[in-house]
Amino acid sequence: MSERPEFEPKIVAFVCNWCTYLGADLAGTTRLEYPANVRIIRLPCTGRIDFNLIIKAFEIGADSVLVSGCHPGDCHYTSGNYHARRRWILFRELLQTLGFDLERIYFTWISAAEGHKWQQTVKEITEKTRKLGPYKDLYQISGSGDLASSGRGASRCAPAVPVEVCGRGTWPCAPTDEAALRDTCRRLLAEGSVKVVIGYGRRGPVFVTRPEDVEQLIWDNHCLANLTVYLKRKEIRGLGRPAIVVKGCDERALVVLEKESQIDRKEMHVLGMACKGMGKAKCETCDVHMPRFADEVMGEADKHPAETGERWKSLAFLLALSPAGRMAYWAREFERCVKCYACRQVCPMCYCERCLVEKNRPTEIEPSATAKGNFAWHIVRAFHLAGRCVGCDECTRACPAGIDLRLLNLSLAKAAEEHFAYRAGMDPKAEPLIGAYSLQDKENFIR
Amino acid sequence: MSATISQRALRGVVTEWIRQGKRVAGPRQVKPGCVLYAPLESSDQLVLEGFVHPANSVKEFIFPKHEELYGYRITGNRIELIEVKQPAGEQVLIAARPCDAASMPILDHVFNWDYKDELYNLRRQLTTVVTLACAAHDDACFCTSVGLGPAAERGSDAMLLELGDGEYEVRCLTEKGKALLDGKVQASERVASVSPGPEKRFEAEQVGAFVKEHFDSPFWPSETLACLGCGACAYTCPTCHCFDIVDEGNIESGVRARNWDSCQFAMFTLHASGHNPRPDQPSRQRQRIDHKFHVYPEKFGEILCTGCGNCTRNCPVGMGVLSVVTAL
Repeated sequence: MSERPEFEPKIVAFVCNWCTYLGADLAGTTRLEYPANVRIIRLPCTGRIDFNLIIKAFEIGADSVLVSGCHPGDCHYTSGNYHARRRWILFRELLQTLGFDLERIYFTWISAAEGHKWQQTVKEITEKTRKLGPYKDLYQISGSGDLASSGRGASRCAPAVPVEVCGRGTWPCAPTDEAALRDTCRRLLAEGSVKVVIGYGRRGPVFVTRPEDVEQLIWDNHCLANLTVYLKRKEIRGLGRPAIVVKGCDERALVVLEKESQIDRKEMHVLGMACKGMGKAKCETCDVHMPRFADEVMGEADKHPAETGERWKSLAFLLALSPAGRMAYWAREFERCVKCYACRQVCPMCYCERCLVEKNRPTEIEPSATAKGNFAWHIVRAFHLAGRCVGCDECTRACPAGIDLRLLNLSLAKAAEEHFAYRAGMDPKAEPLIGAYSLQDKENFIR
Repeated sequence: MSATISQRALRGVVTEWIRQGKRVAGPRQVKPGCVLYAPLESSDQLVLEGFVHPANSVKEFIFPKHEELYGYRITGNRIELIEVKQPAGEQVLIAARPCDAASMPILDHVFNWDYKDELYNLRRQLTTVVTLACAAHDDACFCTSVGLGPAAERGSDAMLLELGDGEYEVRCLTEKGKALLDGKVQASERVASVSPGPEKRFEAEQVGAFVKEHFDSPFWPSETLACLGCGACAYTCPTCHCFDIVDEGNIESGVRARNWDSCQFAMFTLHASGHNPRPDQPSRQRQRIDHKFHVYPEKFGEILCTGCGNCTRNCPVGMGVLSVVTAL
């Protein structure tokens, strides 16, 4: 009686209705035995399997998760599995950055005729999971020896340094460019071709509607905000045709927004400012100092673009940790999240009228600022930006809790570039990453 | 006669509190350039210099961002309610800013008005606040405009004032403060000089009068266009106290919890019918100022703002109570 019961892994399988589900059915009707550890959840298509389901399965106690559908070329809906494949490639990278154990997440193609493959797959996953033991690292801070030694853990605090009031570049201001900007805006407003200039003022964004007010506009080293976020706002749209001041990095957002049919470039006048850097982390590796598609560009920037590899250097410390160490890092960071949603509100790409977290019938993302609720939110936020985030880092700047959200965006940008040679907002002709697929998308992680 | 304590001795006292099992929270550098009020695991994590105000407020230690009210379990036709663990054990907030400490007596009104909030009151009783008077201020600070100052004593059980060379004058202001620091301080002749604080920027009564009279003024849409509608101001404000009650769980069991909420969110006033009485950001910004300078004073006799400036510091687009109010 005192013997401890042997660990029985719980495995959740999300399967496509047309292939794998029938494959599992075939295994049953042909009396093929396989472990009863698997709980099958049938969905219409792998393309419809929401990545949140994988997370939810772990939250309610799954030790491993299997996602399975039709072989390439066999999709009942022609291309659902191709879309799924591309999303999984990116989602796996995000999960890896967050410290999920990829040994516990399986992807397979199993057709309606492959009862044996189903049997083998379930047997193998059950055995492997049995060896790994119960999944205990989920959202856990403990067991992070390697985190403390990396010096980035919150428990190892560096001595106090004066608070950085505001990250600033090394150049104080650019009076000529500022004057040119004001002149242009004065002209545009006077001739009536634009009704409002969305620009930077002393304190923050300003909306100049009269030629005599252009002196409110500034251009210096703390023009940090990405003003393109205002283009989607009702109150600003009500002011009439806008002129908008953008840096090279902000301009990438315009490219994505137009690609997603959110703005009409013809309905606005874009004023590009050559930028020498605002002193933020993104500026160190910036390669878009000069706006490329603006209607008018002011100033010059003589900075050299950084090497591609340089862009990912801030991820290095995180990727050097074990999965448990990474999860501990994020658990500590997210512990400070208060769910003020500043990260969402400042993001030009977060333009949904009603965010997923605000849907409460049923609740998809728990609104509480608990470990579970915070992980769920940050996973959704980051992944909804996969292949769309332009790296303006506004989320990170806005976070009052100092959470380095850029690292999540960066890991997805890295994945997009490495797997698909894609950078959001760089090439107006490129097809949106998530909306498209290629027959050549790699599938070395799918069995 | 005054009493002093050295920084070294103070850290020793903090270590002792932690060892006694008290929950100790104070300014802590969570990463370079980011100081937050956070629970301290050891006394060397306590940051006493080099910052003006942490990016959050102390309210989360008496009114947490997420708090379970009770649990439930359903078995067959039976629904069983489960009491949650009540807060227990003493808590010390060390080196809180005077503007944070002052928020507590202000919040007491609203948590003890029509309903006495047990969890809030229990946490409040268990908490001793040791403030650290401000030696510096930044452009966001405006405590002097709302009747407070760099060494305002309201809400503090004891106060530390910098004397320089690592020494602090200690003023025990309540019995709780005395009990906590009794025997830890040295008698001395030294008395700290108090910094004058930020210049007075506005008259709070005038702000109240303006918002009362100008509900539909074009001022609101013109001055608040930049607001993006996040909750950074409300969630880092020591006095904002709105909350939402949610049920989280499944068909078998779950909890009812309260979470912070903010009047800046579109969902805050959204009716089930789809109608929203505050349909845009200007009306939500007006609400924030209205509540702080008109509604709260009318109901409870004092304004709901301590001038800490966190709304300004944390606003991604450079707004905040100060900028809106000074633009009136």
